[in-house]
Amino acid sequence: MKYSIIVFLEDSYEDFPEFIKNLNSLFSALNAPFEILIMANGTGGFLRNQMKQLEDLNHRLKAFELSTKSSEAVCLQAALKESAGEIILVCGSYQQITTDSLRQALVSLDDHTDIVNPWRQKRVDPPFNQFQSKVFNFLVRKITSSNLHDLSCTVRVYRRQVLEETEVYGNMYRFLPIVAARRGFKTIEVKCEHQQERGRTGFYDLSSYITRLIDIFTLYFNTRFTRKPLRFFSAIGTSFFIIGFLIALYVFLQKVFMGIPIGGRSVLLLALLSMVLGVQASSVGLLGEIITFTHARHKREYSIQKII
Amino acid sequence: MYLSIVVPLYNEEESLEKLLSSILEVGKDFDFTYEIIFVDDGSTDKTWQIIERLKKTTPHLKAIKFRRNYGQTSAMVAGFDHASGEIIVTMDGDLQNDPADIPLLLKKIAEGYDIVSGWRKNRKDHFSRVLPSKIANAIISLSTGVGLHDYGCSLKAYRAECVKSLRAYGEMHRFFPALASMTGAQVTEIPVSHHPRKYGVSKYGFSRILKVLSDIFAMNLIIRFSAMPLKGFAVCSLPFLLLTVAFGILAVLSLIYQWTSGKALFFFIATALSSMAFVHLITLGVLGELVVGTSDLSHTQLPEITKKRITVDKEGKKAQVAIIQGS
Repeated sequence: MKYSIIVFLEDSYEDFPEFIKNLNSLFSALNAPFEILIMANGTGGFLRNQMKQLEDLNHRLKAFELSTKSSEAVCLQAALKESAGEIILVCGSYQQITTDSLRQALVSLDDHTDIVNPWRQKRVDPPFNQFQSKVFNFLVRKITSSNLHDLSCTVRVYRRQVLEETEVYGNMYRFLPIVAARRGFKTIEVKCEHQQERGRTGFYDLSSYITRLIDIFTLYFNTRFTRKPLRFFSAIGTSFFIIGFLIALYVFLQKVFMGIPIGGRSVLLLALLSMVLGVQASSVGLLGEIITFTHARHKREYSIQKII
Repeated sequence: MYLSIVVPLYNEEESLEKLLSSILEVGKDFDFTYEIIFVDDGSTDKTWQIIERLKKTTPHLKAIKFRRNYGQTSAMVAGFDHASGEIIVTMDGDLQNDPADIPLLLKKIAEGYDIVSGWRKNRKDHFSRVLPSKIANAIISLSTGVGLHDYGCSLKAYRAECVKSLRAYGEMHRFFPALASMTGAQVTEIPVSHHPRKYGVSKYGFSRILKVLSDIFAMNLIIRFSAMPLKGFAVCSLPFLLLTVAFGILAVLSLIYQWTSGKALFFFIATALSSMAFVHLITLGVLGELVVGTSDLSHTQLPEITKKRITVDKEGKKAQVAIIQGS
């Protein structure tokens, strides 16, 4: 099997069967064996009702249903197990970029590329959403020193190996190209035409912003420190300890040379607090290191491209 | 298969052919089977193309290509993972090690050692590289109790099980002997020849000494703490326990004698603070026991790899140590 198309169905859009038919005609033109997997994610019985309209595609269609709304990472793992294609196109529940762009993205996956990440040009969603999306992508680019401009596009093309070797969990599916690139997979960005946007618009609620920030931090920690947590925690711990120690030293010297009584200095409490915090942060890092040493020794750090 | 020679390579296109021919030259005299494993650590030059060409004429060459540069430790570990020999020899790909030393290493292994490390007695590097490495070596020796002169030398021979079960990660390759000797492995060293670098540039910088030192410190700490976490954290918490007691006594005294110098609550707050730190560390220690207890405990069973069977020879006179080779 050459292609597997994995469709995450997350909202009940009436034109969903047309979208699938459109995908089918696009791939039929490519003259390569392909299959379409639909992973309904918490849409109730919607998919079951639509299956009748997709009857004539039955031979290359596999439909699945997750009974509770789950993260994209879960959907992907579930769909990946059922798929057989060497090249996997993942897309959302509606056509986000034009058919031409879809074809373009597929063609761009040449022998030296493992992931194609579309970059929507001339976006059609409200300016405010474009702005916050830009800020988000800018932050991620700076923090992870990657060069991807659009992590929110639902369409992506992967080589099968990428998905099998790159583990993502929780909210981290969005960052999969970055995580995979750190393992050595080649990611390229292809400029695409934005057809329509049905996602949320306007201000999101506060919790989504906080969640997004936490996701970025998780990405930062996971890509750098999973194998050396002590580095991260001891940096925090040592700085707190040094600050506390310097304050304590200052108070002590004042007592010795200027006779200022030390017992009543509240700043001494601050020093003690800071030193305690320093020890605590470092010791948490040590615990992290124990976890890595005892539980992650089987996980291979390297990724092999070829053995001859 | 008796011997696997693992060579990590990073941008070594110029030295590659010479390296292979010198290994093959030494290999002619072997009276056992062996394989050569080249690990291309994400080279950006023609290293891999050359390997593919060499592979055609050398059937016992095996090559692994990484997706990107992962560092020497990972390259060596990948080599170990794919090695099928009972003995594994590692060496540098830059022609600074001499394959002619391999038989010497094997001889020592046959004497019953688990790890034989090369010692570049006459190093042919610039003094700015030799000095920091000497300091680092001295510190590793002091802190681990393994008396080697040269941990950085890549030319080493291992009994395969010894190094495979270490499952190293990060920047541990310098500590293979130290790590293994903590498990009871017999470690020794022999002087080996060292050639000046002919091609390419050295991949090490001066700033590495700090990194190496912090690695040593961390490794020591991790190994000790992973053996018995609660004990480790309890030792760390001892100063805070003492502080708690001291501040506590002062607090009681200040209450009894109505001390007016100093704010009234100072000693109470100080007592509370230090006792919190104490409790925090102890709970972390308990959590550590949980973490270690739920792991597969493979790190605590490392000494098992060094077990040797004692056999009695045919006349029933002399007891011998026979090395058990794992399958």
